[in-house]
Amino acid sequence: MNRPNAIVDGCGVVADGRSVMEIARGAGIDIPHLCWHPGLPPEGGCRVCLVEVDGAARPVAACHTPLRPGMTVRTRSAALDALRRDILALECAAHPAGAFRPDPSGTEFARLLHRVGADPAAAHEPASVQVDATHPYMRFDPSICVVCRRCLHVCEEVQGQFAYGVAGRGAETRLVASPTERFADGDCVACGACVDVCPTGAISDRDRHDAPAPDAVVRSTCGYCGVGCQVEVGVAGGRVVRVSGARTASVNRGHLCQKGRYAHAWHHAADRLTHPHLRDGDTFREVTWEEAIAFAARRLGEIRDRHGPGALGALTSSRSTNEACYLLQKLFRTLVGTNNVDCCARVCHASTATALRLATGTGASTASYADIEMARAIVVAGANPTEAHPVIGARIRQAVLRGAELVVIDPRRTELAGIAAIHLAVRPGANVALLNALGRLLLDAGRVDREYLDARTEGFSDLAAFLAAMSLEHAIDAAGVPAGDVHRAARILEGGPALFVSGLGLSELTQGVGSVLALANLAMLTGSIGRAGAGMLPLRGQNNVQGSVDMGSAPDTATGYQPVADAAVREHLAEVWGAAPPPEPGLTVTEMTRAAERGDVRGLWIMGEDIAQSDPHQEAVLRALDRLDLLIVQEMFMTETARRAHLVLPAAGWLEQAGTFTNAERRIQRVRPAVAPPGAARPDWQAVRDVGRAMGADWPYTDPAAVMDEVAHAAPSLFGGVSHARLEPDGLQWPCPEPGHPGTSRLHADGFVRGRGRLVVVEPETSPEHDIAGFPYTLITGRVLEHYNVGTMTRRTPSVGLTGADVLEMNAHDAEREGFRDGDGAHVESRWGGTEVPVRISDRVSPGTLFLSFHFPESHTNRLVGPHTDPVSKCPDYKVTAVRVAPAAR
Amino acid sequence: MSDALRTLLAARGAASPPLRALREHIARHGPPDEAALRALADEVRMPVAALRGAVSYYADLHAPSTEIRVCDGTSCVLAGGSALSAGLTSLTSCRTAACLGYCHSSPAVLAGDTVVRAGAGRDPAAILAAARRADAAPPPDVRSLSATRIVTRRLGRGGFSDLAGARTDGAYDALSRALDGTPQDVLAAVIASGERGRGGAGFATGHKWRAAAAAPGPVKYVVANGDEGDPGAFLDRVLMEEDPHGLIEGMALCAYAIGATRGVVFVRSEYPRALATMEHAIAQAQEDGILGSRLMGRGPALEISVFLGMGSYVCGEETALLGAIEGFRGEVRPRPPYPAERGLYGCPTVVNNVETLVNVPWIVANGPDAYRRLGTSSSPGTKAMCLNAGFARPGVVEVEFGTPLATLLDDAGGAGALIAVLLGGPMGSVVRPADWDVPIGYEEMSARGVELGHGGVIALPRQADLGALLDHWLSFMAGESCGKCTPCRLGSRRLLEMVRDGTRTRDPVAFDRLLHVVEQGSLCAFGQRMPTPLRELVALIAEARR
Repeated sequence: MNRPNAIVDGCGVVADGRSVMEIARGAGIDIPHLCWHPGLPPEGGCRVCLVEVDGAARPVAACHTPLRPGMTVRTRSAALDALRRDILALECAAHPAGAFRPDPSGTEFARLLHRVGADPAAAHEPASVQVDATHPYMRFDPSICVVCRRCLHVCEEVQGQFAYGVAGRGAETRLVASPTERFADGDCVACGACVDVCPTGAISDRDRHDAPAPDAVVRSTCGYCGVGCQVEVGVAGGRVVRVSGARTASVNRGHLCQKGRYAHAWHHAADRLTHPHLRDGDTFREVTWEEAIAFAARRLGEIRDRHGPGALGALTSSRSTNEACYLLQKLFRTLVGTNNVDCCARVCHASTATALRLATGTGASTASYADIEMARAIVVAGANPTEAHPVIGARIRQAVLRGAELVVIDPRRTELAGIAAIHLAVRPGANVALLNALGRLLLDAGRVDREYLDARTEGFSDLAAFLAAMSLEHAIDAAGVPAGDVHRAARILEGGPALFVSGLGLSELTQGVGSVLALANLAMLTGSIGRAGAGMLPLRGQNNVQGSVDMGSAPDTATGYQPVADAAVREHLAEVWGAAPPPEPGLTVTEMTRAAERGDVRGLWIMGEDIAQSDPHQEAVLRALDRLDLLIVQEMFMTETARRAHLVLPAAGWLEQAGTFTNAERRIQRVRPAVAPPGAARPDWQAVRDVGRAMGADWPYTDPAAVMDEVAHAAPSLFGGVSHARLEPDGLQWPCPEPGHPGTSRLHADGFVRGRGRLVVVEPETSPEHDIAGFPYTLITGRVLEHYNVGTMTRRTPSVGLTGADVLEMNAHDAEREGFRDGDGAHVESRWGGTEVPVRISDRVSPGTLFLSFHFPESHTNRLVGPHTDPVSKCPDYKVTAVRVAPAAR
Repeated sequence: MSDALRTLLAARGAASPPLRALREHIARHGPPDEAALRALADEVRMPVAALRGAVSYYADLHAPSTEIRVCDGTSCVLAGGSALSAGLTSLTSCRTAACLGYCHSSPAVLAGDTVVRAGAGRDPAAILAAARRADAAPPPDVRSLSATRIVTRRLGRGGFSDLAGARTDGAYDALSRALDGTPQDVLAAVIASGERGRGGAGFATGHKWRAAAAAPGPVKYVVANGDEGDPGAFLDRVLMEEDPHGLIEGMALCAYAIGATRGVVFVRSEYPRALATMEHAIAQAQEDGILGSRLMGRGPALEISVFLGMGSYVCGEETALLGAIEGFRGEVRPRPPYPAERGLYGCPTVVNNVETLVNVPWIVANGPDAYRRLGTSSSPGTKAMCLNAGFARPGVVEVEFGTPLATLLDDAGGAGALIAVLLGGPMGSVVRPADWDVPIGYEEMSARGVELGHGGVIALPRQADLGALLDHWLSFMAGESCGKCTPCRLGSRRLLEMVRDGTRTRDPVAFDRLLHVVEQGSLCAFGQRMPTPLRELVALIAEARR
């Protein structure tokens, strides 16, 4: 089979429908090219890849000519050489003198000139065009743009963004990136993919334009969101000079987002904490690590001994490594003796984890990112991945542009909503009604997967009876969505298994658990969980929020989700740890702050969290922190929380330490230090270990790998086969129960972890923030692309040049009614607090709905958010707050 | 245009065609500024950079609006159009227009939607007065040297642009009979007729149809290419103005044969009257139940719409034309995929030139054998040639394929004083008297190095300013190059520079070498073919010097 049936340069090849270019490359023949780039559609414009075909009247372009059986192709000849030279000379002559010169080690274009022997000496264009440096990260030099359009194609094909266009015609044809001559005015999201394919350097990264070439490149895992992109960090002289995506990584395949690629300047910010700080009255004094560790160990011991272990608590960091989180929860469970351990997962995806655990047996994504490309249909509910998880957002966009059907459930018209087959602009907090309505329509159409339901799940008949009995009209009405759209969305779901991507818009609600359960019901009704191209894929917010809970940062479960109430678990842990955790579950983060406010909790250790800015009901959080007898904070900067501490331990950032992060698809990946932490700052795990040792523990760990080896013993069913060595080259997805196990990309593939998938009847509940007299608007809080969480890192980068403040998105109708123009200041007030922020008139929100991000401390967004939590998960309700607005006082 | 962008627009439910919204905006408010571009992008749901690219591409979308436009086509330039344009500019707002298709009455002047009776040698003030009176230029003379008239059978007689009149002449009779048979019958007849596409390349019509018929897809299109941009050709304009139902019937037969349910007639904006008559005829056919949910009340569905071009020569190329309809820059895209497999909105599409489609009802009515009895074995049937005002008897002349060019020129008269004729527009040929015995036909001509193109013939008199003509052609090429491929994008301008700065005469080898690069390297026929007549013109110039 596959006998050669065509000839390229005398070499027999198989014409298999691909282009001459691709087949020639497969045969080791590299045809000179300019606009063509592997993986991008052939443009056919540069004509450098012209080849001769026997019998053809003129040369043909190898990139877009299919190799047909019987063809004889020559890629080299004197005539072709001359043609390529002349074409490139023509291009060079259209640029200012000296714009290009052949260089065997220069840009791709310079190497091409060198290879074909083109002589760019004769230039006809005067040098008049200015470099466009209006964008903080991207730099465009039109004088060396050859309009090859690789940037345009990569923008469309990889990022799915369509930032570029081509203007003019004939010799005036040129690249444009906005409606003006300013790059910054366009739709670019600064993912940098175009920079990587630009052959001349016309589009380049501003951060590396004048930077020295790296003298070392370190592969690591991005420390921003929970996607877990693999990065290659270039370092020169102890500074990060560039971050690039790792091409071989399955998570991001070389792609990155604006934050991951560019927002790295924080690591050498002038206000990094470089020494331990000990409170001295109203101020701090710098102390040595020895003094700091002794203080921490002594005070923890004193409070434990005087007030009992329950008077102490710890918050591990979703920003830190698995190893650091593991050690801190172990310190509290074994040396202090309390289960008061929690983390920020509580305030984001606790509802998701709780619901998925209830429904499937595992509180984590059932699917993997690879399912995005395999999906027939994708439902994105309460998530805005093109901003909050941009690389996944781009992968979803690509899948949609290749034909996957997309349903977006979101009160806001997000970017994905703009390309969705159906956008269901649900009333904030009314997800359950909408998801129930969709389930009902599936039942009515007889299009539920009965075989799957019978074989793999339980609770179907109860759910079916409930859905059949409810009023469809009432549910759709409560959801606030046009009935026709709900029917159309249901028809998409009728097509079979789908991938359900969810975010905090489903989780951070008083009915967060219910919302996710209702989504899981749909996933099971459609037979999606455990199937390829389908399942549940919640997008985790922070780089290691998955891992911190995996490691045991939860008051009821220790490492590997082992319940502390279970005697066998305690016995096993006592063997590994030398001491068992207490049997009673501890307090959640919200419960700990309330207890602190009351004086019941007297000491907190907070690792890398700024709960003063990030947690809801901000006034109460500040009161709680101020009342503590001991607050230990591990931080990179003097945050609002750190300012209130008794001891501040300077922390290493993700560019500066070793360990592992676990991403939203349960993939454990290596983190490696690219630069040294500033001054005396230390990795979190090391500081915890040293305090543990000072409290009398015999902790032998010399490096994070040793900690991970212990994790494998502590929770063998999930991590038994995990070790740092085994995480090469592309990480491992847990469960990985024994050495040699390949990891698990799809959970529940051979039946649910809990035995049978559980369908749950969820009655829609009214949000406590709905229909509040005097507070006519519903406020949603969330994130924007340019910033990350409370902005500790991104506010210390050029990203502030793109977005320098939180703004209140308001529909034009509301703005008119309230008398706001774009940019006016607004006083926003809820029943819980008030703040002043500028207004942006936007059709992304419907009338009656407002949106505000929380990246800048001066916005005090979380003063507005009230005390409500989901009763089961204790996850706060950040997404629905009744507010009123008035012009800000000047 | 990329597949990704096309999918994005489809997913967004973009206004289709988006450029119509643009045209309406520009008619009301003039060329868009930044804010207007953003608002328009939102309205048509197109990325703003892509929209800006399209606006900057099409002359109609960014050129200022003027009272008068003077035709910039070859025939009109030879008839003194440039001087007229200068004269009119001193009197009123005036700019040039791409060929208006009035080569039979050059120089042509467009005022509003009327092409004015200008005539050579008249002074600008008189022409402006005629323009303000809307004194329309007369239609061309139409005659036939072929005993059987096919494509011109309803031309020059008046009354057939209206449905009732057309039906008295048998319009839609062939369609009606075809609907009694099968689509395969129609397809087989067209294949057997051996009809060659009249757009210039002479590709077999039946082969295109067969490919589109075989291509899978729930939606298919038939597109009539009425973007007759070749200076010197005006037949398609006259057909759309005087026999629109002949075109609609041809499209309906194609649609029936290939299973298309949607049709688009692409009309150049330089042809305002053709636009009006096509729209009127389609509306009548719709009202009469010929078009609509059932062809003639009993066949499959066919809806036909008109798309108005926006000022771009390259849009006459089929992939560029389809891109324009979809709202993108009128750029050529590499084939394959051919439109028959993936054309308009990614659906199987037949793009046929107007004349090609008007032949179809005759073929179906009279049978392929009758068609093959006319013309030559490789070019069956007849060809309607267009003769410009440089001849004693300009107009449309139908001839059987195989008729010597000389016979046509003799009939037209005045050929004695010519040093050559320009055949087939800027991608055609400069044919000297020694070659006038060449038979009209695709293979017949290409064997002699002659390109038939659209079949427009422009007289080149002995006193013509050949240098000005060379400059004019290269300006046209540089101005119309779509910008997609490097040789044409940059080579066209460089060639013009070499003519203007004297490099061409100082270094003829370099000039010829660049012609070679453009010819060998360009992506489409525009760049590949223009060098031939340019070379021939350069040779004429050299001889004239001696």
